[in-house]
Amino acid sequence: METNRTIPDAALVARCREGDGEAWGLLVERFSRYVYAICVRAFQLTQPDAEDVFQDVFAKVYGGLPKLRDDGAIRPWIAQLTRRACIDRLRADRGETPLDEVEPDGVDDRLAELDEALAVREALLALPEACREILDRFFARDESYRTIGEALDLPPGTIASRISRCLEKLKAAMEDPEAALRQVDG
Amino acid sequence: MIRVTTTDIEQLARLLGALPPVPAGWVEAAMELPLWGAGLDELVARAESDAAFRARLVADLESALAESGLNPTPRILAEARQRLSL
Repeated sequence: METNRTIPDAALVARCREGDGEAWGLLVERFSRYVYAICVRAFQLTQPDAEDVFQDVFAKVYGGLPKLRDDGAIRPWIAQLTRRACIDRLRADRGETPLDEVEPDGVDDRLAELDEALAVREALLALPEACREILDRFFARDESYRTIGEALDLPPGTIASRISRCLEKLKAAMEDPEAALRQVDG
Repeated sequence: MIRVTTTDIEQLARLLGALPPVPAGWVEAAMELPLWGAGLDELVARAESDAAFRARLVADLESALAESGLNPTPRILAEARQRLSL
């Protein structure tokens, strides 16, 4: 199984278009949290609505890949598909409500933040597995020091310092992505 | 290319928390799209050329999908109904 670290978006899209099932899996994995976060964080959909939109979006992505003009523009395209699907879902629930009344306040700011979050997540992939896991468990999965300690077989007292060190590595990776990749690959 | 406007540690920590894990099963279902999409294509093509097969689909879509190797989840059933104009 390939990892999702080094394949550029455009190359992944090209492979999906050729019917490469593994590439499709990597593409779904790469953008799944992003799509989900747009649904539940930006548009505050319920879980059942979010699930419908999530699956609809990936079905549209899969069906629309042959027509995508710029393979490198997959992220904004997915964002646009998701936004439109969320609006359609909210309007379906509330009747023919005007667009500006169904969109939650501050949705543009939230979407911009999710774009940044996706970039941070990509930078995270340049870190060693141990760092990726501890940062994801603590910040994204909201696990306690105790839960993390039990899962990773680490004394709870060391978790905070490890998180701090890994955050510093992430900061360095964002400031110099190529150096971070060399460190992991080397 | 997204430009991240900060490498401030607190901001990075906040952004790490902005993309929560997707509930179990959703990602796997999306990954299977090519598999069941191709299966559904075959099924629809056969239904268009074989009236008896189409009649079986109309009578019991769920069983017909399962016999064709497609797991008849609500999503696949809905897609099949739409594609077959049922």
